[in-house]
Formats: sequence, C-alpha cells, structure tokens
Amino acid sequence: MSIRAPRKGENYELSVDLNSEYRDKRKDAIKRVIASMTVGKDVSGLFPDVLKNMQTDDLEQKKLVYLYLMNYAKTQPELVILAVNTFVKDSEDPNPLVRALAIRTMGCLRAEKIIDYLCDPLQRALRDDNPYVRKTAALCVAKLYDLKPELVIENGFLDQLRDMISDSNPMVVANTVAALTDIHISATSNQPSDSTSDPAVFSITSAILNKLLIALNECSEWGRVAILNALARYDATDDKESEHICERVVPQFQHVNGSVVLAAMKVIMIHIRNVRRDDLVKQLIRKMAPPLVTLLSSPPEVQWVALRNINLLLQKRSDLLSNEMRVFFCKYNDPLYVKIEKLDIMVRLASDSNVDALLSELKEYSSEVDVDFVRKSIKAIGQTAILIESAAERCVNVLLELINTRVSYVVQEAVVVMKDIFRKYPLTYEGVIPTLCANLEELDEPEAKTSLIWIIGEYADKIDNADELLGIFVDSFIEESYQVQLQTLTAVVKLFLKKPDSSQGVVQRVLNTATKDCDSPDVRDRAYIYWRLLSTDPGAAKAVVLAHRPPISIPRTTVSPALLEELLGEISSLASVYHKPAQTFVGHGRVGADSVQRKGSEISDAQKALQTVAAGQQAENLLDFGDDSAQDGQPSGLAATQILPSTPAAANFLSGTSANPLDDLVSIFGGMETMDTAAGSLSTALSPTVTSQSSPFEGFGGSSAPPSQPAQNAQPQEDLLGLF
Amino acid sequence: MAIDGLIILDPTGRPIIQSSYTTYPAAYPLLHIEALNNALAKAPREGSVDPVIYVGELSCSSACCHVEVGGMRFLATISGDVDPLIAFAFLDAFIEILQDYFGVVSVATLKDNFDIVYQLLEETLDSSGHPLTTSPNLLSDIVLSPSLISKLLASVSPATPGVPSVRQGGSFGSNGASGAFTSPIPWRKAGVRHNHNEILFDVVEEMRGIVGKNGTTLVSNVFGKIESNSKLSGTPDLTLTFTNPNVMTDCAFHPCVRLQKWTRDNALSFVPPEGRFILADYQYRPPQSALVSNVPIPLSLKANMDMGEFGGTFALTLTSRLIKVMENLELKFYLGEDATSAQCTLSSAGSSVGSVGSADGSWSFNSRTKMLQWEILNMRSSGSWILRGSWTSKIKAPRPAHAFQIHFEIPSYSFSSLKVDQLRLSSETYKMYKGVRMRSKGSIEWRW
Repeated sequence: MSIRAPRKGENYELSVDLNSEYRDKRKDAIKRVIASMTVGKDVSGLFPDVLKNMQTDDLEQKKLVYLYLMNYAKTQPELVILAVNTFVKDSEDPNPLVRALAIRTMGCLRAEKIIDYLCDPLQRALRDDNPYVRKTAALCVAKLYDLKPELVIENGFLDQLRDMISDSNPMVVANTVAALTDIHISATSNQPSDSTSDPAVFSITSAILNKLLIALNECSEWGRVAILNALARYDATDDKESEHICERVVPQFQHVNGSVVLAAMKVIMIHIRNVRRDDLVKQLIRKMAPPLVTLLSSPPEVQWVALRNINLLLQKRSDLLSNEMRVFFCKYNDPLYVKIEKLDIMVRLASDSNVDALLSELKEYSSEVDVDFVRKSIKAIGQTAILIESAAERCVNVLLELINTRVSYVVQEAVVVMKDIFRKYPLTYEGVIPTLCANLEELDEPEAKTSLIWIIGEYADKIDNADELLGIFVDSFIEESYQVQLQTLTAVVKLFLKKPDSSQGVVQRVLNTATKDCDSPDVRDRAYIYWRLLSTDPGAAKAVVLAHRPPISIPRTTVSPALLEELLGEISSLASVYHKPAQTFVGHGRVGADSVQRKGSEISDAQKALQTVAAGQQAENLLDFGDDSAQDGQPSGLAATQILPSTPAAANFLSGTSANPLDDLVSIFGGMETMDTAAGSLSTALSPTVTSQSSPFEGFGGSSAPPSQPAQNAQPQEDLLGLF
Repeated sequence: MAIDGLIILDPTGRPIIQSSYTTYPAAYPLLHIEALNNALAKAPREGSVDPVIYVGELSCSSACCHVEVGGMRFLATISGDVDPLIAFAFLDAFIEILQDYFGVVSVATLKDNFDIVYQLLEETLDSSGHPLTTSPNLLSDIVLSPSLISKLLASVSPATPGVPSVRQGGSFGSNGASGAFTSPIPWRKAGVRHNHNEILFDVVEEMRGIVGKNGTTLVSNVFGKIESNSKLSGTPDLTLTFTNPNVMTDCAFHPCVRLQKWTRDNALSFVPPEGRFILADYQYRPPQSALVSNVPIPLSLKANMDMGEFGGTFALTLTSRLIKVMENLELKFYLGEDATSAQCTLSSAGSSVGSVGSADGSWSFNSRTKMLQWEILNMRSSGSWILRGSWTSKIKAPRPAHAFQIHFEIPSYSFSSLKVDQLRLSSETYKMYKGVRMRSKGSIEWRW
C-alpha cells in the first residue's frame, strides 16, 4: 500500500465514500465495492478503507465487509491481521449470529496469521450455549484441520468434536459428523503409507452408531445425508446389527429430498450384504422400488442421476423393478440423456411377460426424429432378441419392418443388429437374407457394410448370387474403408472355401488387389496369410476361416462383478453416476497411477511370454491362435456392442474377423482414440471390462510388432483410466 | 469435499454471482464456467447436454451440475466422490429460497439484490462444501428479505433519514437472534405470533401419461403433492386425517410429519413450519390390481394425419371425458426442423351450448421452435374441439414428431378423490381458519 491510489476514478470515489461521515453513504459504498468485486474489477486497493467499516453494529454491513475480507485475504495477508481484533471481539458479542459469523469468517480466511488467533475463540464457540454457534464452530474445526492439523490436535478439538456427537441439538450432531468425516478423509488420504499409526480419526463404534441413528430422524436433509454417509462406513459387528441399521434407515426412503433417499439406499445396499433373514431382504428390496419410481417424477437432471443409479442397482438386484418397466417408457420431449438411460433400463427389465410392450415401444422410438436415439432404439431391439430367445422372431420381424421404411440410417443400423442376431442364432433366420441384400446399395456406413458382408460370407453357400454381391465390393475395394476391405477379404475367402468352383475368379481378384494395390499393411498381411494358406493347405484354411464361432450372449452387467460390488457401495455418488470406481477420477492420483502401472507390467509380462511362444511357431500354428482368438474375442466383442457401439473397433470385433487378432487390436485402440475425443459424452462410459478383456490381444500384438509396441499399447489404456 | 461452490451465469454465459471459492485457485471457477459454456455451445439442441459435466483439467478432477432457471444457468461445482443429487437438491433448495425472497428469479432481481444473494449463499453453503441452513423459516431470521427491509425503512419517520434506519438494521440483528436457532423444533422458528391464524392446504395431483397410436393408454401415473401454507401462532400440533387415506401410496413426507403415527393410524401428525412448505408427496394407484393399473385419461384425441410431400395436413379432434371443466388446455406439436409455416382453422361441435365458438381457442406456430400450439382456455364437458390445418416444409419427406404433448388443468378436482376428514389442533387454544383446495393437472403424450 505504499503506492497511493490515483486521486480520480471509480476507486477513488469509492474510497472517499468509504471514509464518509454518513453511515448510509459508507454502507452504500461497501455495496458498490462488492458489486465491483463481483464483476471482476480489482478493488483490493480499497482494503484499508473497507476494513475501517468492519466495526459496526449493522449486521448486514458487517457481513458485506467480511465477504470482502474473504475475497482478498489471500492477496493481502498482512492487512488481514488488522482485522483480528474485531474478529476476536465479535466472537464474544452477545448476539449469537455475530459470534457465529466471526468464527465462520475466520475459518474461511485461510491466512496463517489469523489462524493463530482462531483457537481461543473456537474453543469458546464449541462450548457456546447457542446451537447455531456450536454447529458453525464444528465445521470450523474441519477447516482448521485442513490448514494446520497440529493445531487441532494440540487444542484437543478432535476429542471435543467426538463429544459433540452426543449434543442435544441434532443439527449440531449432523455438522459434527460432517466435520469429523472431512477430517477423517483428509487424515486417511494424506498418509496412506503410514498405515501403522491409527489414522482413523472418526471410527464409528456401536455407541456412536446409536447416537447417529437417533439424530438421523431429527436433523435437516443435509444432516441426514452426512449421517447416512457415515453409517455406510460402519462395519457392523454381526448380522443382528446390520438388520437393526437397515430397519432404522428404511424410513428415510420416505423423505422428500431425493439425495436423502439415495444416501439411504446406499446404506441399505451395503448392510444388506450381512442380513441373513430372507424375509427381511425381500421386504427391504420391495421397499426400494417405490422411492426410485418417485424420483422419476422429478426434473430431468435429477431423473438422470436417479436413472444412472437405478441402472447400477438393477445389475445387482434384477428383481428390483420387475413390474415397473412402463415407468421407464420414453416421452417424446424427454431430454436425450434421460431417454438413453431409460432405454438401457428397459432392456435390462425385459422378460417374457413384458417383451411385447417393450418391442412396440422400441419400434415407436425407431420412427422418431432424433438419429442417435433411433439408432440406440434399434440396438436395443437387437439386445432384446439376444437376451430373450422366445422373442427373437418377433424382434426380427420388427427389424424387417424397419428395414422396409428405407430410411437410410434405420436400415443401416438394422443390418448391423441383424448380424448380431445371426451370430446368436446361427442358421435360424436365413429367410431374412434376401431382404437385407436388397438394401445393399443403401449402405454407406462402414459398420453396416461390414455387417452385411459378414452375413453374405457366412451364408455364402445359401445365397445363390453371393459371388455377384461380393463382387460389387471387390470392384470398389480400393475406395472402401479398411475394415470393409478386411471383411470383404475374409468373406470372399469364405465364399471360395464353400463354393470353390464358381468363385475362383473373384478370390484371385481380391487377393491380387489386396496385396498389390492396398496401402493398409493389415489388409496386405491378411491377404498374404490367406493366400499362403489357400495355396499350401486348403484344409487348414478351412479350419481357420470357417472356424466355429460360439454364439454370443449379452452380459447382464456392463461392469465386472467386483467393480459392481464396489460401485454399489458408492451408490449416490459421482462414481455410481459414471459407473467407474472413484479412484479413477477422484483426486487420489497416486492410487490411480499405481494401479495403471501394475496393469501395465502384467500386460508386458504376458506379452513377453507370448512373444517367445510366437517366435517358435510355424504358420499352421496360427490355427490355434485363430481359434483362441475367436473365443477370446467373444466377450470383448460383446462388451463392445454395448459400450463402443459407434466405433469401428466394435464393428470389427462383431464381424467376427478375429482370425487376425492384430488388426482387431489395432482397431480397438484406434477406436479408443476416437473415444478419447468423444469422452465429453459421459454416458457412453467406457467400461474397464473392455480393457481387461482385450489384454490377451495385446499379447498377439507384441508377437509381430516391434518392441516399442507395448509402450504404445499401454498408453491408450492409461488414457482410458485417466479419462475419469 | 462436496459442493465447492455455486455460480450463477447470465443468459450469455457470463457469471453474475459466485460463491467465494477461497480454498481454490482463481482459475477453478473459470474452468467450470468454460466447460459448461463449451458443452452448451457444442450441443446440437437443448436437452442434449448431460446435466453433470466432468471437468478434468485440474489435478483434482471435479464436475459441474447445472440447471436452467429463467434463462440463467445455476452451476454447482462438486469435487470428490459426492452424490450429484446433493448438488441438484441444493440448487433446487437455493432457487426456492431466491423465489421466496425476490418473488421472481431473473437477472435483474439478482443483480439488484446481489448483496442479499451473497448473504444467502454464505448462510446456505459452507466453504468446506456442506449445505447449511436451507429452511426458509430459519433463514428469514438471519438474512432480511428485501420486502422486509423496505418495510422497516418505510416505518422509519422521514424526518431523520439515515441514522434511524441503521439503528433499525442493527437492532434487528439482536432481536432476530434471540429467536434464531434456539427453537426446539429445527424446522420451525420459535415465538411466532399472528393476529389471524390460518392454514391452507393445496392438494395438487399431476397425471403423466402416454397414449399409444391405437388410443390405448400405455402408462398413466398420478403423482400428488400436499402443499401447505401455514400462518399459525406458537407451536401448533396438528393432526390431519383423511376419509380415504389408502389412495395415497409411496408417500414421502416433510420431516415434520411423525412417521409412526402415519404407519399406525394413517393420520398426518405434525408441527408445521411457518409459511409455505410441501407436507407430503404421494402416488395414486387405482385400487384394482389389474395387470396394468392405469388411471383413465380425462380426454381423448382423434388425429387424422396426412403426410404429403413438402408438408402435410391434419385434423385433430379433442373431446373431454370429464364432467368438470378443464382449463388452459394446451396441445403442442413439433413439426420438424424443416417446417416453414402452418395454417389452421378452429371449430367446435358442442352438443349443448350453441355458442361454443372459436373464441375459446387459439393456435399459433412458432417458426423458431417449429412448434404448433393449440390452446383452449375453457374446455367444457361433452363437446369436441377441432383443429384442421396444414403445414409446409422445406424437405420432401417432412419428419414431424410422432406425438402430441397435451397439458391441462382441472380446478377443484382430484384424480384420486382424496378427501380430508378433519384437521385438529392441539397444544394451542386459538381458533384457526383452515382451508383445503384440490387441483389437478396433466401432461399427456399422445402418439399417432
């Protein structure tokens, strides 16, 4: 403050007004200062002038001055010391609001010099008669711990907080629990290595448990959430206690605030694991459904969060909402993010009894305007067909109707979905093939093309003009995208193996083009392999190319069982909304990095092993790889159907081109890079399952790639984990 | 480690007011604002931005939850593993408080009263991220509402301006504090006095339904709410009983309701907070446990649609199935993004009243939202209202929505026919005025 402010301008005028002899003029000036502060103007030069107005009996003015102090305390710490006296004086004011305000503001200032003066007033405030002051002070302890933990311990504030759990006022209890939880979290996360010393600042004992259960019913919604979160951390001593907790928490389902309901649900999901009485479990599950349905009558934002959580709950307890599918029917003017979640849940709830209603809904959605939603709906039809065998034929009929609409994107998506159905039910719906082939010209998306080509190749012996149809793609081979090229190549070879007489010409042509004119090394490699196989041992070629593929199935869960358990413990948290474990996106950077590294080293070990194996192998041993990879490919391919539906990688997996795992590997990561950019849409959450299941492929990748490959492989995976 | 702060953005995406973010770097709120604005700019249309946007630029990653109110965006930034629902619930509570204080929540009212908004922010959200007091009953003791301030100022004699008003503000603080937070009941302030004691209940039931192409009801749910406005002195202990409480299922209650009493005798026993509050939420399910228990939809729509090239024609006939009068009926129809214009004629075929004329209805086409809207202010029973028209489109095969959105209100009616039996007051001796009003509304999607 050695440089004097210029004697004109807005700040000068403010400074004059702040020193005015009229109180209302000064108050007005403070308001103007705050207004300037809000719009980002620098009014820090007025600090001493504002400070002069701190001693006032006008509470509103005091609050405004405090507001200013909080904003500039960081940049002007040496001036804040001037305010200390007023703060200390205010903390003894007869008015409890002033006392609380002083304590709260001192805690927020985060200036070292103030902190030292905070302890005595805080000590008094924690014992204040007024509950408002006590509850403010409780939170202040957590803030102090954040700045100087040793001060909290030296002054015995922690013990005092633990005593305050028995406070007569439930609001004080709630804030105390919140403060202790905050301290607990920062204490345990700051010293993870120091596991021998007890970092459990806030361990919940049976005695505390009972106090919490009593306070639970009496405090505000926010207090309830804090208490419920603490209950979720409690390790019950026996199943009796778990039952007791569940019974006491269940009434919280009847709270009007959705966050209380979800927090209660989390407690139940955790403690229900230890409940042995089947009738109680049944009863609890039955009681969970209505509040979830009620949440769906909330605004769309809340609905979305609720739907994400419902989606997770259903993966564990599929019986939860078995009779409630209709609640999830999409309305035309629902926001897209709500519709997509509802769609997913509807498929999850599909059963023999409601599949007709579901299909007619899905058909309805497929005629809507929104392209993304239409595609997802058609995919859902395919998933339904795969999940419920008895309904497969009805699904196929709906798909045929959709194909007949001849709307381009509808047809293409339906073709892709048909391919999945062919894989699930081989040799069942061949009658559909002519209709699909009739739409050949309409297809312009690679995924749809590869799907149709796969179908033609797979059923080449049943389609009279298969050579003609594939010929069309061979003619345009060079212009096609490379996954279409790969698929064409495989399909033509299949055709040749099934009908060698009529297709000699076309196979020659495609192998020639692929090896000579194609610039993708993968396509060239595959063409060479086929060529060699066909010329040396057609029998082996048959075993590789026409290898039996086990039918696909859709897993009921989108996340691995272990992760699901972890996430269920996180119900009503960001983790459950993103369907990812908390440490992948929450601050604990070290944990995340560690696990990634561990994963990376596992992969490279596997890779080394496979490299040695692969080095000694001759061409015919590729047979085994072919089979293995085809089987390994199943889960990945499926996971991909659900999770990476729009990426070319998924298309590749599904089209059953696993005969060459290297391509698939490359394309997975190709796909993931595109996912990286598309990560903004969080709903297409990448499940960790994909990564873990795709790791066998990386081994194959290593076998023919230069040593630098592992590092590259690990890279996208880290990105993937780092995404959230 | 919860809600880091709250930011209010004006319609252009610039911050108007934000909480102090003392523990965060200066760029922290800016990053969230930018992330939201980017997401909104990228969104092809409204409603496609996820309500929770992940912000990963910082070392500790966080997310922002946002809602739109009066053109503004309210943005709560959260970090750590917290329930986004808490953020939304808090935003909801905060917006309600603002409505309570200013009546209308708009850029202008917030800018005019920014000092009050700041005080409210400080009172409701702790800087360590915990929501504090959001009950309007308790807040009104700590933060003076603008109407109260002006009342206080007006009561001051004009002869000595300035000085007395300040004293007034100061004395308010200590007076208010005597009552603040000493109340034994956390949701109710102590020592309330009214000359005229009254409590009003508004039972509002909302039907949400979907009707399929063939006119069958696919879903219809009725959600009910008992809104109350209490102006009672002292500590009134109330018991509200219904003649048919069994129509209320899946109830959720204000914390003031004693749950045991409800489970035992289906009576609502409570000490109400002061002012407006929602006493209970419920769902109405018709008693018969058929496979699909739908509540019948009180109107029917016949739609004759004819799609042509570059447009189409339609004839819509609405008929009421209710004896009560429906009000403010509104039918919306999205004509597709390439729609250019629409032309309609209105008519009606009333059975009894000859004068049912076009005066009752009106239509409009919004060329920006491409929404055709048909309004009928008063829809009596046993008549039908007809809207015939055509629209034009820039493309050959227009793709209008395959559903109509119908909204309506029915005053003094409830789907569940819930009936209040009586309201008893114990623990206080005064006479009070009590009132119960029923109201229903509906939003139906009718597909064609």
